[in-house]
Amino acid sequence: MNLPNLVLADFLPLLPAIIMVAGASILLLSEVFLSATSSRAYQAVLTVVTAVAAGAVAVALMFEPPQEVLLGFGVLDPFSSFLTLVVCVGLGLAALSAVSFLRKRGAERGEFYALMLFASAGMSLLAMSNELITVFVNVEVLSIATYALTAYLRRGTRPSEAGFKYFILGAFSSAVLLYGAALLYGATGTTQLTAMVGPLGAAMQSQPGLVYTGVVLVGAGFAFKVAAVPFHMWTPDVYEGAPTPVTALMSAGVKAAAFASMVRVFITVGKGIDPQMLLALFSTLAFLTMVAGNLLAIPQRNVKRMLAYSSIAHAGYLLVGVAALFVTAPGESFRLLGASALTGGTALDVARAEALRGILYYLLAYTFSAVGAFAMVSALERREDEEKGTAWDLERFSGLAQRRPGWAFAMAAFMLSLGGIPPTIGFMSKLLIFQAAVDAGLIGLTIVGVLSSAAGVYYYLRVVVYMFMRPVPEGAQVLERSWSTELALVLSTAAVVVLGIIPGPVMGWLVQASTIFGQ
Amino acid sequence: MNIELILFGAFALLTLLSAGMVIFARSPINSAMALVSTFFFLAGIYVLLWAHTVAVMQVLVYAGAIMVLFLFVIMLLNLGESPTRGRPTLARLAGGAATVGLLAVLTITLLKLPQGASAMGPEAQASFGTMATMGQVIFTQWLFPFEAVSLLLLVAMVGAVVVAKSRI
Repeated sequence: MNLPNLVLADFLPLLPAIIMVAGASILLLSEVFLSATSSRAYQAVLTVVTAVAAGAVAVALMFEPPQEVLLGFGVLDPFSSFLTLVVCVGLGLAALSAVSFLRKRGAERGEFYALMLFASAGMSLLAMSNELITVFVNVEVLSIATYALTAYLRRGTRPSEAGFKYFILGAFSSAVLLYGAALLYGATGTTQLTAMVGPLGAAMQSQPGLVYTGVVLVGAGFAFKVAAVPFHMWTPDVYEGAPTPVTALMSAGVKAAAFASMVRVFITVGKGIDPQMLLALFSTLAFLTMVAGNLLAIPQRNVKRMLAYSSIAHAGYLLVGVAALFVTAPGESFRLLGASALTGGTALDVARAEALRGILYYLLAYTFSAVGAFAMVSALERREDEEKGTAWDLERFSGLAQRRPGWAFAMAAFMLSLGGIPPTIGFMSKLLIFQAAVDAGLIGLTIVGVLSSAAGVYYYLRVVVYMFMRPVPEGAQVLERSWSTELALVLSTAAVVVLGIIPGPVMGWLVQASTIFGQ
Repeated sequence: MNIELILFGAFALLTLLSAGMVIFARSPINSAMALVSTFFFLAGIYVLLWAHTVAVMQVLVYAGAIMVLFLFVIMLLNLGESPTRGRPTLARLAGGAATVGLLAVLTITLLKLPQGASAMGPEAQASFGTMATMGQVIFTQWLFPFEAVSLLLLVAMVGAVVVAKSRI
């Protein structure tokens, strides 16, 4: 038996996750010494500091060469480091918006932030996982933390309903993922993704049914986590019932990590099997998700629920990018422009690199826009109206431009960005994704994407219309200000606008980050 | 026809029967007891697969500890018989159809597999599935998932306390 010889440096790639777990442990341990009336202001600050530290380490790790971590069960590559950065951004902004949300409800506890940090550590580890059981365990780390966070506030029926629904359906989807992994193991005799490629090719000859069933089941498990239609049923209820900062973390972090892991698993698996099958699978999912997500969002008057459906629609655009990773014959535009001659790679390589870049930029863009929008929702909602269901009504936004022009400007920026209107980061990211899809030859899917996002503009702009063109309703609640929520709003608005106009700095990282281990 | 095959058939049949009872029993206590026997028969199948450690864990943890908690909760809540089943709705019909479809796909897939012991890969070593081998593998090669599992347990514990604690 050859024992592995691990030294401290072998754990260095896990540093962002280790920092977050350490921060969570400090929060848990310090909570023990506090009485009910002690000040807990330090908790959010500590969470944000931890997120910034982990994010900074992730940026530093982004320039390390791709390498195996802990005997190949994980990998460190710029792709995973960029994803950790996205998760840290989402975590920091969500924690900032949680401060006044929790204080208004008298619900400040160290456990809340600790669970957020644990979930983010799980997301970071999931992005690095290169082995199916490790993928499963890390999916569970982030899922269980978010189940508990969903049911964190248990006044009224909504949170417990949301928590329970998420838990039952989430456990079921994890079982589906695991069953698919078991079938792939049965076909190849290994669970390590890198080692799976060769045996997969052989298994495709002897037992293709087993491989296909395994791939489809694993895909279904991931489709649930990213809320793709037809696995989206849980999303609106869970997003609405969960505390708003948790919804923000879910929509940004959980989705980003699940997408990253899905891309890693299927890029590797796709080398062993017929990519046509994966292309068909993801094109169908993307088509259904874009169309259904946008159509279902249109009649919503409840802004939080509308954002939940919009997050389904955005999963659809991202799936277009994922589908573009599996094309075998790129579109015409390459041959016309000679892009492959310029970059040195084949047209196929360029199309895939573009798609990967598009997915990563989209995840970052969606994190800023969605977490910002949810921070705004949490600033306007009031606990008393939750049971009546009016806490998130569009009417809340009436005349906001007269009462708080800054807030209205921020929310308008988020809505324009989610709708994909220039000059925002949302426009740039949609442009990248659809450009990659066109270059990959997925013209039909791109047309559906553009048309459905045009339909989406309707419900995003409706919020803007309410804020700027409706009078202030009589007897409107007092709008309390809080430094932390406003800081979150300022940061995300700045990112949405600045990165929409000058995407340059992040683009450099993106070129770097589209390096996936073993590709 | 060797003894392993007969035992496997018996365990598989009994597992299916008790799993069916879990679903169809009207009283929650009967369901829970059927679940206990499902776990036991599953443990038998694990033994036949040379996964001794997993079999022991199955009996100790699932059939033992978890089920005691299960029964305890059922008795604490004093659940009666479940009400009569509702009429078939569209959602139920769709769910049923999807289940039957998935079952059909899986059955066809598994029936098409090559038969025989060595068709799926090399013969397992004699030490396969023993406590010693598992211990060595878990604490050395499988370090990353092992550490992730320890994080998972911590998260589950904190999460359970947060959800079960007094109302926030």
